[in-house]
Amino acid sequence: MSGLFGTLSIALGALQAQQAGMQTTTNNLANLNTPGYSREVPILEEAAPIVQGNVTFGGGVELEGIQSLRDNLLDLQISDETQQQGNSQAYVNAMNQVQTLFPDDTTGIGAQISAFFQSLNSLSTDPSDLTLRQSVLTAANGMASAFNSTANQITAVSNQLDSSVQQQVQQVNQISQQIAAINVQLAAVSSTGQDYGSFLDQRGALIQQLSGIIDVSQIIDGTSLTLTTKQGAALVVDGQAYALSTATDASGAQHIYSSQGNDITGQISGGALGGLLQVLGQTLPSLQGQLDSLAGGMVQALNTANQEGTDLNGNPGGNLFDPITGAGAAASMTVAITDPALIAAGSDGTPGSNGNLANLSAVANAAVSNGMTPSGAYGNLVFQVGTSISNGTTDLNASNAMLQQLQQQDSSVSGVSLDEEASNLLLYQRAYQAAAQAITTVNQMLETVIDMGASGSS
Amino acid sequence: MRISPQTSEIVLNALQVSDQAEQTALTQLTTGRRVNVASDDPSAAALEVSIAYQMDSCDQYQRSISSVTSELQTADSSLNTVVTGLQQAISLGVEGANGTLSQQDRNTLAQEVSGISQQVLSVANLSYNGNYVFAGTATSQPPYVVNDGVPGGIAYQGNDGVNSVEIEAGQSVAVNQPGSQLFSAPGASVFVALNDLTTALQDPSSTTQDIGDATTEIRTAYDQLTSARAFYGSTVDQLVASADFLNSESVQLAQQQNSTVGVDMNVAATNLSNAEAARNATVQAAASMSSVSLMDYISTIDAAG
Repeated sequence: MSGLFGTLSIALGALQAQQAGMQTTTNNLANLNTPGYSREVPILEEAAPIVQGNVTFGGGVELEGIQSLRDNLLDLQISDETQQQGNSQAYVNAMNQVQTLFPDDTTGIGAQISAFFQSLNSLSTDPSDLTLRQSVLTAANGMASAFNSTANQITAVSNQLDSSVQQQVQQVNQISQQIAAINVQLAAVSSTGQDYGSFLDQRGALIQQLSGIIDVSQIIDGTSLTLTTKQGAALVVDGQAYALSTATDASGAQHIYSSQGNDITGQISGGALGGLLQVLGQTLPSLQGQLDSLAGGMVQALNTANQEGTDLNGNPGGNLFDPITGAGAAASMTVAITDPALIAAGSDGTPGSNGNLANLSAVANAAVSNGMTPSGAYGNLVFQVGTSISNGTTDLNASNAMLQQLQQQDSSVSGVSLDEEASNLLLYQRAYQAAAQAITTVNQMLETVIDMGASGSS
Repeated sequence: MRISPQTSEIVLNALQVSDQAEQTALTQLTTGRRVNVASDDPSAAALEVSIAYQMDSCDQYQRSISSVTSELQTADSSLNTVVTGLQQAISLGVEGANGTLSQQDRNTLAQEVSGISQQVLSVANLSYNGNYVFAGTATSQPPYVVNDGVPGGIAYQGNDGVNSVEIEAGQSVAVNQPGSQLFSAPGASVFVALNDLTTALQDPSSTTQDIGDATTEIRTAYDQLTSARAFYGSTVDQLVASADFLNSESVQLAQQQNSTVGVDMNVAATNLSNAEAARNATVQAAASMSSVSLMDYISTIDAAG
C-alpha cells in the first residue's frame, strides 16, 4: 500500500533499524575490553519496493540481523602459534630451574671435580701427611655430594613437572567441558535462527586457552565443532567432552591417556603440556644419563687407580668410592673410606711413596664418560643445558612476535574501535532523529487530511 | 586496511622488550659478566668450565712448587755442611799422610774425622715436616743407623724410591734424591770412606800410602755426593722457571676468562641507557596515544549542532 500510512510505516522501520544499530554500537562499547570479543555490525537491507502502476516506491529499511566480524583462518593460525608459544614457554621455564644446577664457575660439580684433583696434586708433595690425605677425602666427599645433590634436584624438578602435567591435564578437561557446554547452547540458539556470535566468541577464547596447554586440531562445520589433539585423540565432539586422564608408571613418570585409554604421552607436541613432556621425556633423562655416566666412569677409574697402589700402611689399595655404574650412579655416589690412611698414594708399600697418585691424577685426563674427561664431560653438560634454553628462548621469542602480529591482524578485523563506535553513535542518533522527524511531519500531514474531512462535513 | 584499534598489547610488548634489555644490561653491569647463566652463551659457559679447571690447576701447581722448593732448599743447604765436612776430611787425610806426624797427632786427626762422620750422619738423617728427606720413599724412619756389622759401621735402611710431583699440566719432576745416591753409593760411600780414614789414622801400622788411599776414597765419595747433589740445584731452577711460567699462564687464563664470559662495561652501560631511553619513549608515546578519542568530542558536536 502507499500513501501517508505507508510513509509512516517506512519511518517506523527506520526507527527500529537505527535503534538496532545503536544497540549494536553500545554492545561493542560494553565489550571494548572483553577478551575474545568480535565487534558486531547490524546488517541493514532495503525492504522490498512497492510498485504502483508505473511507479516504484522504496519500501524502507529492514534489519536482517547482527553479524560478528571475525576471520576464521586467522583464528586457526593464532591457535597454532599459541600451541608453539605454550610449548616453548613451558620448556624454557622448566629448563631454567635445571640450569641453576649446572653452574660454570666456582660452584657445583665442575668446581668439586677440580678441587678433588687439586687435592691429589697437593698430597703428592707430602704423601704421608695425614692432613693432606684428609683434604683428599674431604674433596672426594664434596665431589660425591655435588653429584648427589645435582641428581636429586633434577629428580625434584622432574617430580614437580609431573604434578604440573597432572594440573594441566585437569585444566584441559575443564576447558573441554566448558566448550562442550557452549556447543550445546550454540546448537539450541542457531536452530531458532537467532544471532549466536557471542557464543562463537566465548568458544574461540576457550579454544585459544586450550591451545596454550595442548596441541589441538579443530574441525568446524557451521556451528558444529570437533576438537581433537593433533594426533586425533578426541577432546570435544559437539556437546560431548572427552576427558584425558593421567597415571604414574612403575618408574614414577606421568603418562597421559585418551578417553579411550590409549597412552598419548608421546604424541602431545604442542602447548605447555608438549613443552613439559619434552623436558620430562627427553631432556631430563638425557642429562641424568650423562650425569650417571660421568659419576660411574669416574668412580670406576678412580677405584681402579686406587687399587693399583699401596696405602699408608703398606697394604694394597681398595675402592675409593662405593662401586656404582649405570642409572642412579650420580645420586648414590659415596666415598667408600673414612680413614685417610687408606688412600693408596704409594706405589712401593712405603708411606713416603707418591707413585700411585700419578695414576689417580691421570683420571683427570682420562676418557671416563662418552670419550670425555671429567671436566670436559661436565662442560658438555653445561653446554647442553645452556643450548636447550637458548634455543627454546629463540623459539619463544619468534612465537611471541608471530603471535603478536597475528593478534594485531585479528584485532584489525574484530577489535572494537572507540573512534568508529563514536561515529556510529552519531550516525544512528542522527538517523533516528531524522526518522522521528519524518513521523512528526507525516503525523502533521495526516492531521491536515483529517481536518480537511472535518471541515468538509461541517 | 582497517588499523587495529587495540594498541595496549603493542605498548605492553614494547615495554617488555625494553625492560628485558634494561635488566640484562643491569645484571651485566653489576656482575661484570656477560655470561651469567649458561644459556647466555652456551659455548662460552662450557669453555669457562675448562678455563676454571686450568686456573685451579695453575694455583695448585704453584702451591705444590712452593712447598717442594722449600724442602729441596732445606736439603740442599744441609748437604752444604756435608760438602764442607768432606773437604775438611780430605785436608785432614792429606795432613795425616805426612810421614813426620806422631801417632798421637794421627789419633787427634782420627778423632776429628770421626766427628765429621757423626756430623754427616746427622745430616743424612735430616727430617723435614716429619719426613726423612734422604730415605728414598721410606720417609717414616731414619735412613741411617749405627750397625757394626756393615762396612763403615752405618747401615742404610731407606730405599731407592723417587717421588715425582706434577708441576705443570703433563710435566712432573723428581723431588727427592735417595741417600743411596748421596751418602752410601756403592763404591763411593761417605761413611765407609770416613771410617776407613779414621781406621787408617788410628792404626800405627798404616803407611802414608794407606792413609793416602783412604783419602782418595773420600775424594771419590765427595765427587759422588757433589754430583748427586747437583740434582737439588737443577730441580730448584726448574721449579723457579715453572713458577714463572705458571704466573704468566694465570694472567693469560684470567684474560681469557674475561674475554670469554666478562662484559665490556662501556657496551653494557650504553645498552642500559639505550634501554632506558627506549622505555621512556614508549611510555610517552603510550600516554599521548590513549588520551584522545572521538568520544571526547561527541558532547561538543552535540552542543554545536
